[in-house]
Amino acid sequence: MANEYDVVVIGAGTGGYVAAIRAAQLGLKVAVVEKQKALGGTCLIWGCIPTKALLEHAHALKVAQSAKEWGLTGIDGAAVSIDMPAVHARKDKIVSGLTGGIEMLFKKNKIEWIKGTARLTGGLSLEVTLNDGGKQTVSATKEIIVATGSSPRSVPGIDVDRKKIIFSDEAIHLPSVPKSIAIMGSGAVGVEFASIFKSYGSEVTVIELLPRLVPGEDEAVSTELERAFKKRGIKVMTGSKVTSAKAGGKGVDIEVAGADGKSQKLSYDLLLVATGRGPVTEGLGAEKLGLKMDRGYVVVDQLFRTNVPGISAIGDVITMGGPHYQLAHVSSMEGIILAERIAGHAVQPINYDHVPRCTYTEPEIGSVGLTEAQAKAQGHEVRVGSFPFRALARARMAGETDGFVKIVAEKKYDEILGVHIIGPRATELVAEAVMALRMEVTVEELIKTIHAHPTMSEAVGEASHAAHGAAIHI
Amino acid sequence: MPQMGESIAEGTIVRWIKKVGDSVDRDEPLFEISTDKVDAEIPSPAAGVLMAINVKEGETVPVNSVVATIGAAGEKPQATEVPKVPEVPKVPKVGAGGNGSKHSAQADGTPGATVAAPAPPSTTSAAPTAPAPQALQAPEAPDSERHKSSPLVRKIAKEHNVDIGQIQGSGIGGRVTKQDILGFIDSGASAAPASARPASEPVANIPVARGVGATVTPMSVMRKKIAEHMVLSQRTSAHVYSVFEVNYSKVDQIRKAKKDDYERAGAKLTYTSFIAKVIVDCLRRHKTINASIDGDNIVYHNEINLGIAVALENGLIVPVVKAAGEKNTLGLSRAIQDIADRARAKKLNPEEVHGGTFTITNPGNFGAQFGLPIINQPQVAILGVGTIEKRAVVIEDAIGIRTMGYLTLGYDHRLVDGAVADQFMADVKKGIENFDPSQV
Repeated sequence: MANEYDVVVIGAGTGGYVAAIRAAQLGLKVAVVEKQKALGGTCLIWGCIPTKALLEHAHALKVAQSAKEWGLTGIDGAAVSIDMPAVHARKDKIVSGLTGGIEMLFKKNKIEWIKGTARLTGGLSLEVTLNDGGKQTVSATKEIIVATGSSPRSVPGIDVDRKKIIFSDEAIHLPSVPKSIAIMGSGAVGVEFASIFKSYGSEVTVIELLPRLVPGEDEAVSTELERAFKKRGIKVMTGSKVTSAKAGGKGVDIEVAGADGKSQKLSYDLLLVATGRGPVTEGLGAEKLGLKMDRGYVVVDQLFRTNVPGISAIGDVITMGGPHYQLAHVSSMEGIILAERIAGHAVQPINYDHVPRCTYTEPEIGSVGLTEAQAKAQGHEVRVGSFPFRALARARMAGETDGFVKIVAEKKYDEILGVHIIGPRATELVAEAVMALRMEVTVEELIKTIHAHPTMSEAVGEASHAAHGAAIHI
Repeated sequence: MPQMGESIAEGTIVRWIKKVGDSVDRDEPLFEISTDKVDAEIPSPAAGVLMAINVKEGETVPVNSVVATIGAAGEKPQATEVPKVPEVPKVPKVGAGGNGSKHSAQADGTPGATVAAPAPPSTTSAAPTAPAPQALQAPEAPDSERHKSSPLVRKIAKEHNVDIGQIQGSGIGGRVTKQDILGFIDSGASAAPASARPASEPVANIPVARGVGATVTPMSVMRKKIAEHMVLSQRTSAHVYSVFEVNYSKVDQIRKAKKDDYERAGAKLTYTSFIAKVIVDCLRRHKTINASIDGDNIVYHNEINLGIAVALENGLIVPVVKAAGEKNTLGLSRAIQDIADRARAKKLNPEEVHGGTFTITNPGNFGAQFGLPIINQPQVAILGVGTIEKRAVVIEDAIGIRTMGYLTLGYDHRLVDGAVADQFMADVKKGIENFDPSQV
């Protein structure tokens, strides 16, 4: 049968395309149904890649603006500003280069890209509404993988018009830098855009419902980020709720109920809604097929099986009862494990306590494992070690001395429970911590691990020293 | 896997002496096995070329499994055509008898296995039966002394005195993770060994902290069997000991006089020859010592089958001189020499370590004054021979130099009371001290 494959993947995001490649590597015949014009999904087209590209531009801008400090001549720092069309051109080139790369990988691995929208029709069959018209029936002999991902979600009462009240999808290609922008929500997406737009010259206000920024992170990280943001001139309103938002000709009028209970009316050019992402299952026919769902998410077990035999799901669209992160690298690992399972390999469930979380603000945040509060709540006898970047040679050279490395460990067995890094290269430094947690390294082992000098990573070694008493260089 | 004795259900291939493609002659050693009775080299049943090996070294298979294929001389191995034998390495072997009467242990008290304190003589009635049928074999010898774990797991293991090797690792490559070891500790498995372990292991399995530089080696099959049998015996019998001092002067004289005659006859006349002869004669008179407990019954053996403990390089074995009661001193000397030599050469027939009714062990070989050996089940007594040397002794109010030695009788108080044992030993002492030269 022409349209029969071992595995059919719905969605070519970082979960789906990685699952497809891994399955093909393991000798399976694979097709991927993707309706977008490019492969790569949210991460490549609207998420990680474009936003981090914008951040690199922000960094370049920052260096140019402080040319005098760096001893650069021929640049008037005060006159330097950002050229958005040029930024977008470079960013889009990066994105299309990467999505094109996935196409190449598909060809290399003989993966069929079926351009259209898939609907589950029962058993291991799909009906694909092709982008260029017509319908096609596709079936799998082994497994269908639902990897349809997520899209930004607003909260009740806030209607996103995608012009003045926008999502991150729009924020990545604003034609010009807004004079002022309010950002609802201070998760990774919210604070990253806050950092970008502030660098680009906007007046930025972050409004967070909970009492602190990045509420998923360790409290010390939140405090440090808020301090750094305020230092940069970003206005932070925590414990505050946007009760209404009205888009007008000139901008957005919002009402914010503050932590003190008082309500105030504020006006901005734009309101970015970064309150989270929800699952994409519309048109998939999941409910009709009897797929077990929970608030729109597809319910799966630890090895990504849905309740319907032969249908598995990975990535942002799933829920599995326990903690689950809507992160590209989580989806990718789920895709790899699922593909290996389908190919008949013995696989083990993911330990979601060992998922690195990266927030590309300035300063960056990289963390893994339990926060101090979580560790205490779980009954551990906790000990903590911190080391500030300002005491680190390498950080001073970079002129980036905000932040610290904080290690959360427990006393009984000296186990490292969490590592929380805010500061320069935090998103890279966290890799060592992820390995340490996965390999069940004790603080003692981390202390005895040699960290090269002069590097940012020395802060990790020093923080482990601090957890056992005192860092060397402070 | 050859049937190495009726009570043997399986065997472990210890070593392949020949490789695939080697040519073998009939009766040329082909592989080495270890069963719960004996280690032996197995000769090739036919001449030809070893075409395929189906059972790897270290694997345990039931008897009558095909372990290898031998083809006609000149044939080339074609591994794919060899029928694959199902591997049944983990089937626990169940003791044949309902009361364990067939547990004829190969191992017994050795010079090194002396027990510090005799068991209290009063704990008799609670467990009248010999060991119930039980899993004898869990051949899971880890092939690596290193166990994959993590710094954290090692720390937890140290804290809780847990042997990481006991834990089934769920991580990649069997790595023991934090979850595994915590689960293991929570399950209480560290206190009581997992059920797959032989039931004869001690209940209190105290894990060993591994210090720096310690090496860890898996037990050989023989070592495991010795361990099982020793613990089983300690649990089964109410061990009591009597030590007698014996004057060997007369025996010494006879030995010196007859040694050369024996040598000419191809035998060695040793102190053991005399002791064995006296023991056989005394056992004939003291039926209770040459007996076994079978449930609520006492089996008085008619035959006297004398077990002789032989120390090997990494263990010991107790071959049996069958029908020892029908042999004279020369016959006993020859038989003891023969089985001891063949035990060391691993050439024993499995039946030759089976069916003993009494055992002699000789810790005195290594200078021990006397030993307190553990009974070789299902026997009820064991003789430990202490070192034989010249000592100053009092003889009729004078001090003289005589060839002396201690003899220990370890006996099972469930059946043998002190008076019975001591009467037996007094008889043995008398037999040795007044050895009839015409018996040699």
